Amino acid sequence: MTRFLLRRLGSAVVLILILSAVIFLLQSVSTADPVKAYLGANASPAAVAAARQSLGLDDPLPVRYVDFLTNLVQGDLGVSYRTHRPVVTDLQAFLPATMELVLWSFVIAVLLGGLFAVSGALRWRGSSIFRGPLLVLATAPPFLLALGGIVLFYAQLHILPANGRGPGETGPTGFLLIDTLVAGDPAGFASAAQHLLLPAVVLAIAPAIAIGRIMRSSLTNTLGADYVRTAESKGLTPFRVLGRHVVRNSLGPGLSMAGLQLGFMFAGVVVVEQIFSWPGIGNYLAASIPTSDFPAIAAVTLVLGTIYIVANALVDVLQAVADPRLSA
Amino acid sequence: MATSTDAPPAASLSGLTLSLERDGVRSDVLRGIDLEIARGEIVGLVGESGSGKSVLALALMGLLPHRSHPEVGGAIRVAGVDMVHGRAEELRAVRRNELGVIFQDPMTSLNPTMRIGDQVTEASGTSEESLRLLTAVGIADAELRFRVYPHELSGGLRQRVMAAIAVAGRPSLIIADEPTTALDVTVQAQVLDLLRELRDEFGCSVVLITHDLAVAGQIADRIAVLYAGRIAEVGPTGEVLHAPTHPYTVGLLRSRLSLGTPRDQELRTLRPETGTPAERMLGCAYHTRCPLAVERCRVEQPPLLDIALASAPGIGGEVALTADLPTDERLGPADHDRACWRTVDDVQGFIHDTANAAPLTSRVAPGPGREPAVRVTDLTVTFALRQNRRQRGAGSSAAREVRALRGLNLTVEPGEAVSIVGESGSGKSTLLRVIGGLTPATSGSVALAAGGAQMVFQDAGSSLTPWLTVGELLGERLAPLGLGRTENRARIDRALTSIGLPLSVARVRPAELSGGQRQRVALARATMIPPAVLLCDEPTSALDASLAASVLNLIREMRRELEMTVLFVTHDLSVARLMGDRIVVMTQGEIVEVGTSADVIERPEHPYTRRLLASVPEIGATV
Repeated sequence: MTRFLLRRLGSAVVLILILSAVIFLLQSVSTADPVKAYLGANASPAAVAAARQSLGLDDPLPVRYVDFLTNLVQGDLGVSYRTHRPVVTDLQAFLPATMELVLWSFVIAVLLGGLFAVSGALRWRGSSIFRGPLLVLATAPPFLLALGGIVLFYAQLHILPANGRGPGETGPTGFLLIDTLVAGDPAGFASAAQHLLLPAVVLAIAPAIAIGRIMRSSLTNTLGADYVRTAESKGLTPFRVLGRHVVRNSLGPGLSMAGLQLGFMFAGVVVVEQIFSWPGIGNYLAASIPTSDFPAIAAVTLVLGTIYIVANALVDVLQAVADPRLSA
Repeated sequence: MATSTDAPPAASLSGLTLSLERDGVRSDVLRGIDLEIARGEIVGLVGESGSGKSVLALALMGLLPHRSHPEVGGAIRVAGVDMVHGRAEELRAVRRNELGVIFQDPMTSLNPTMRIGDQVTEASGTSEESLRLLTAVGIADAELRFRVYPHELSGGLRQRVMAAIAVAGRPSLIIADEPTTALDVTVQAQVLDLLRELRDEFGCSVVLITHDLAVAGQIADRIAVLYAGRIAEVGPTGEVLHAPTHPYTVGLLRSRLSLGTPRDQELRTLRPETGTPAERMLGCAYHTRCPLAVERCRVEQPPLLDIALASAPGIGGEVALTADLPTDERLGPADHDRACWRTVDDVQGFIHDTANAAPLTSRVAPGPGREPAVRVTDLTVTFALRQNRRQRGAGSSAAREVRALRGLNLTVEPGEAVSIVGESGSGKSTLLRVIGGLTPATSGSVALAAGGAQMVFQDAGSSLTPWLTVGELLGERLAPLGLGRTENRARIDRALTSIGLPLSVARVRPAELSGGQRQRVALARATMIPPAVLLCDEPTSALDASLAASVLNLIREMRRELEMTVLFVTHDLSVARLMGDRIVVMTQGEIVEVGTSADVIERPEHPYTRRLLASVPEIGATV
């Protein structure tokens, strides 16, 4: 197992290095001039030349990459051309909001997906009433779902807010739900939950179906497996058969799909954050792209990519825990 | 063991009927079964696939698949509990306390993600008891094996673990559903011995379900032969095997391949099924295949009667109806009963009739001086195997090399047929795959005669692309010739005719064919453009005995007509003897014995060959 973990960790590091190289290369081949963003469109040629010099844009490419990596290792992601603040400071401000949104959304996706899978595989009577609409909703693109949700729950029914995270104060974790709870602020907590609900569900629906379908087919396969028949022949109760024999053996495909979807959710969050004015890195990225704010774009991409790689490495480890045949 | 009529039986089935729904079509799987299993008795339940024997096992356990919407009539009682109408908790209690089950494939029947100790303990209650059971079923170092996963054990050990689960809680009845089919022949003998020992030691009854009369014959006290959901014949093992009274039993025994089957004759087969289900359901289900069928067999279902009673009145005579007989006349465990309108004398007279065994025409003489069809020189194949810490032992490296073949030399003359025999892991299939070009050689060389090789695999179902029709599958082989549509069609028709299938088969997909038909299509595909060498990898081991015999006949016939060289891999010595001019015995990647079929079977030299021969279940030459 240790060997397996080390190998998996090593390959994650290599992947992140490759990712950083790709991001860096893209930045260097782009024709947009970041100095314009840094100084404004009306800067004098002398000022532009001086800025290029001070930003290190005139150095040869390999030198710049090594600088980039050295700074990266030291936790320095450069200064945003747009906000003129260190990118790390910006990330600290925006990342927790995104993390909170995506993680709760992921929890909702896994719960909905699990329900979808179990109800489908065990053929609960009447459960198709729940599965049908979910399937229909999953076919709609997220921006449409978001707009539909706002029209229905905000504009018509007035039961859910449509923008921002709510008035509560963030504390040490940056997760509004947790911070308001710790600070003993029930009104802030309720507001935070209300603000979170709509964007989180919108973001969760498509992944929920993806996870649910995969899990349903693996559950169905497992239920028909010979060893489940063996377990039944031991006279175990249906609950024990499910708990001890079916679930663990069905987890593998569901886990890999969940890891994959978590990665997609961090990418899909850009659209959802914009529609709901969610103060997260998606919004930050959307504002940085038109101004060619490369340090900001590179940092966000690197963070999202790292989360994706870590999530999938974690899935591999979990799969190996679930199935002893894999950790060879 | 003597069966006592006083004690209540371990299980009883009376008038059991069962229908299941598949793809929306309901079919009668069991159609009136009366059977009693006495305490301490081993009953062999024998039948071909589709006879309903495995469904019967599930019914005994009360585990019929809900999805098939089973409809059950009659009664099943196990240890006094009604398994048809009982409440779910009652049935669970019976399964937990009274029943033990051993399924066919121990690899798939054990939970792959659970340590075997835990799996046994689920049934036995405590780990001390599990340890004791694992030791009792003959697992050495039970303490060490307690914490391993199923994939870390060999097939034989896995089946012993299944047996330990089965005997946990001292069941009164063990149901063994084809417990040896997935195992090597030497392991098969051990598992059968184990079943008998379990009966002797724990005093439980055993229902041994198998497709092979000889396997049942090894340990069963009584054999029931099942055909299309009814008992065709039931009686003491010796009588059923040596004095069968039902034409189906006779057919099964005659089509069974043994070490004594004449090599120079066509193999005897049961008549293929030609009737429609409706036809079969009306009279005796076997009448569409029965060589002795008369008019009455077509219209009226024969009752299961004691042979003494049933034979007396003869055809058309008045037969006492079962309902008029006292119960113990019908169900007595020592009785020999049969369901047939023909007299015992008629059936037994037919046993000695050998009319349908056509002699084979003489073989192609291997031409001296010609280039060999296959020449294997110093062939070595190694696989890198990644291993788990538990298997490895301390200090050794992570990657271990497995030498599947260790420097083989083999020359096969043109037109010759060579059988390659060995147990799983002997390297016999690897050798075939290297010759076929599917697996690269690590070192050494393989030279093939012009014309190349074609392969036929064990599982015809999965070796035929499911979404192509048979015509398309066969046509694929002709594509490189560029013959044009009409010529292709003609060739495909000719191929289908040569394998004895109707031309309409060209338009159906493999899933709609039976296992035997699929294997025929696989053969047609391999031989459409006759290869120099036909490579067969256990092509019949997934088929019923009678179907297997007909496919073997077909291969032998094709070999004669196309003058092909045949390499035939099998684990079954009796098949090897019939298919090969020479037999090659392999174990652990090496050839340990080569010789003419007669020499190897009659005068085996290597101890391994002798051990293989001793493990082959035989009935003895009576039929």
